[in-house]
Amino acid sequence: MAKRITIDPITRIEGHLRVDVEVDNGHVSDAWASCTMWRGIEKILEGRDPREAWLFTQRFCGVCTTVHAMASVRSVEDALKLEIPANAQYIRNLVLINHGLHDHIVHFYHLSALDWVDVLQIPKADPAKTSSLAESLSPWTRNSRNEMKAAQDKVKAVAASGQLGIFANGYWGHPAMHLAPEVNLLAFSHYLQALEYQRKANQVVGILGGKTPHIQNLTVGGVANAINLDSQAVLGMERLEQIKVLMDEVAAFVHQVYLPDACAISAMYADWFGIGSGVTNYLAVPELPIDAKATQFDLPGGYIPGGDVHAVRAFHTHADEAFRQSVIEDVTHSYYAGRTRLHPWKGETVPEYTDWQADKKYTWVKAPRFENKPTQVGPLAQVLIGYAQGHPLTRKWTDAALDKISAVAGKKIGVAQLHSTMGRHAARAIRACMLAELSQRHWQLLVDNIAKGDLSIHNPPSFPSGEIQGVGTHEAPRGTLSHWTVINGGKIKNYQAVVPSTWNASPRDINGAHGPYEASLLHSPIANPELPLEVLRTIHSFDPCMACACHTFDPSGRQIAKVKVL
Amino acid sequence: MKRVLIAGIGNVLLGDDGVGPYVARVLSSSFEFETGVQVEDLGTPALDLIDHLTGLDALILVDSVDDGNPAGTIALYRKEDILRHGPPVRMDTHSPALTESLLAADFVGSAPKEVMLIGISGSRYDAGCQLSVPVQDAVAHVIDEVLLELDRLNLWYEPIEGKGSEIWWDSAPELAASR
Repeated sequence: MAKRITIDPITRIEGHLRVDVEVDNGHVSDAWASCTMWRGIEKILEGRDPREAWLFTQRFCGVCTTVHAMASVRSVEDALKLEIPANAQYIRNLVLINHGLHDHIVHFYHLSALDWVDVLQIPKADPAKTSSLAESLSPWTRNSRNEMKAAQDKVKAVAASGQLGIFANGYWGHPAMHLAPEVNLLAFSHYLQALEYQRKANQVVGILGGKTPHIQNLTVGGVANAINLDSQAVLGMERLEQIKVLMDEVAAFVHQVYLPDACAISAMYADWFGIGSGVTNYLAVPELPIDAKATQFDLPGGYIPGGDVHAVRAFHTHADEAFRQSVIEDVTHSYYAGRTRLHPWKGETVPEYTDWQADKKYTWVKAPRFENKPTQVGPLAQVLIGYAQGHPLTRKWTDAALDKISAVAGKKIGVAQLHSTMGRHAARAIRACMLAELSQRHWQLLVDNIAKGDLSIHNPPSFPSGEIQGVGTHEAPRGTLSHWTVINGGKIKNYQAVVPSTWNASPRDINGAHGPYEASLLHSPIANPELPLEVLRTIHSFDPCMACACHTFDPSGRQIAKVKVL
Repeated sequence: MKRVLIAGIGNVLLGDDGVGPYVARVLSSSFEFETGVQVEDLGTPALDLIDHLTGLDALILVDSVDDGNPAGTIALYRKEDILRHGPPVRMDTHSPALTESLLAADFVGSAPKEVMLIGISGSRYDAGCQLSVPVQDAVAHVIDEVLLELDRLNLWYEPIEGKGSEIWWDSAPELAASR
């Protein structure tokens, strides 16, 4: 008999994302993804100066600050048809690349690896065997027996104290966890090292952006990083060398640790290359422009319909006409009033809350659709779209990853298996490798351009009296982000952000078509409905970010004092 | 030199959730602090918070709390109170993660020994850049609590004048011409 389980903030899981699944004979027969938090903060932008919109949009979310800032300035520049100087492109690209690297490393090691790695198995591992295993996978220099032993000792100490601390929330001992103790230890030692390397990537963002979180160096028309190669106060050779060192270290970690780990672990759970596919329409926008006019990009974009890589369509600009015209948001099953389907420039955000109703409205997330179809975004979309177009860098790292995975799995894992839960993890590692390589290239592009004598960083905007509209896109760590703005007389009249997690967490639409999270859960095995680890694995593979909202601390602990305000 | 961070956290676009950043900016524009004491508006960090905690001697956090008390009520918490219940399982990989960040920093041995969370109960968390009246009225008392904690830690500070308000989000937009 079918049984419905709700995994939401009120029961086992915290956060703003709720998932309901119907389980029948050990498999998911239906699924609903919903967001329990009102997301209508774009309203705040109405009436404001478009030049300062990015300061507000980067507060949408504490994780995705940089990406919302970037999409915002690009949307205003698109409306004004304002080009930015080449230096500004490269500086922005370096910020985006390093933000992306930080984000992907944290996602793999700190936010999702523990869905696969069983910390309680670590004390049983042999550190010497772990070290030889690690050295067979990678030339990384921090895989020694001592390094492994130190990581193991930390876990043993925590286990002996009976307080699991940060690891108290895992589904340890779940039957779906089956890595050898040595693999668990290897992954865990890299979990600790990853804390250092994600910080280095974030330091680059901080150096170029002025601070993190909330970079300060953007401006509509370019960047605010004054360039003088001989100065230590502004962006000069000293700071450029400093970020180069950090980026080299991060690139080594990504190529020699993250990719081998992602390949080995995914190969050891090779059945998950056959689970969690769901929606196979894929969308990505081109990213990392290499010229001032943004006519050429280092990361390709496009659209793949129905998983057919041969039918890929390429996008040639940040926002091709096909993209501009083809995005709508459907609110049939979302807590909003008004017309069912609207283009973002005409978008409305009028709340109409009802209870959670399986066949009516059940979420605060709107349902973005591309050509009226549910569409998956994220690293997998970008990798498949690049691969389908024969993009050399994508092919290089995808082929390298699939070779490693196939070797460990002992069977062929090809591009067709990437449409899956594990495919999303593999694709994120592939994309990280591409970004790490591109960090070097864009650093060189910037240095070479400055060496030619070009110090330009900003083209000033001027606003016409009438109405204009623009879209700014960014291929963010979680996928295609677009900010749609309508400006009248130099003031914002309408503003809509269509974010990656909205594409992926979207509910059913007017045609009843499931959103990507929902579709990916259909047919998934569920060993134990009380501990739905399999649901977490598939949902976490998308890297959900619903945090674009409130922060309020929920004090489940005891307060030491209450101060009475008189 | 002691390394101390006074961090306001919260979303400045969501009413009373913005009280942490608000207090941080009032503090940094109205006081000078001993070298080593930083004041930051950290917005709504997730695990990134680990990087800000690493290597500190003391941490003073200002955040809105959801504890059912009347708006403007101030409550103080220490590290063990924050960590009492351990981290929850999360569906959303990026939910606010104060507990997780403290635990992770603790695990690698880089967490501050002294942690104080000053929590302010709010009343409205919908879209809007202004604090409710009771929370606005509590700001001066929150600042007193921060200064008391600095006293306890034997740290020097002094009021300064002449710096303007840094609350850039607090202004109402002009009405759009067409609406």
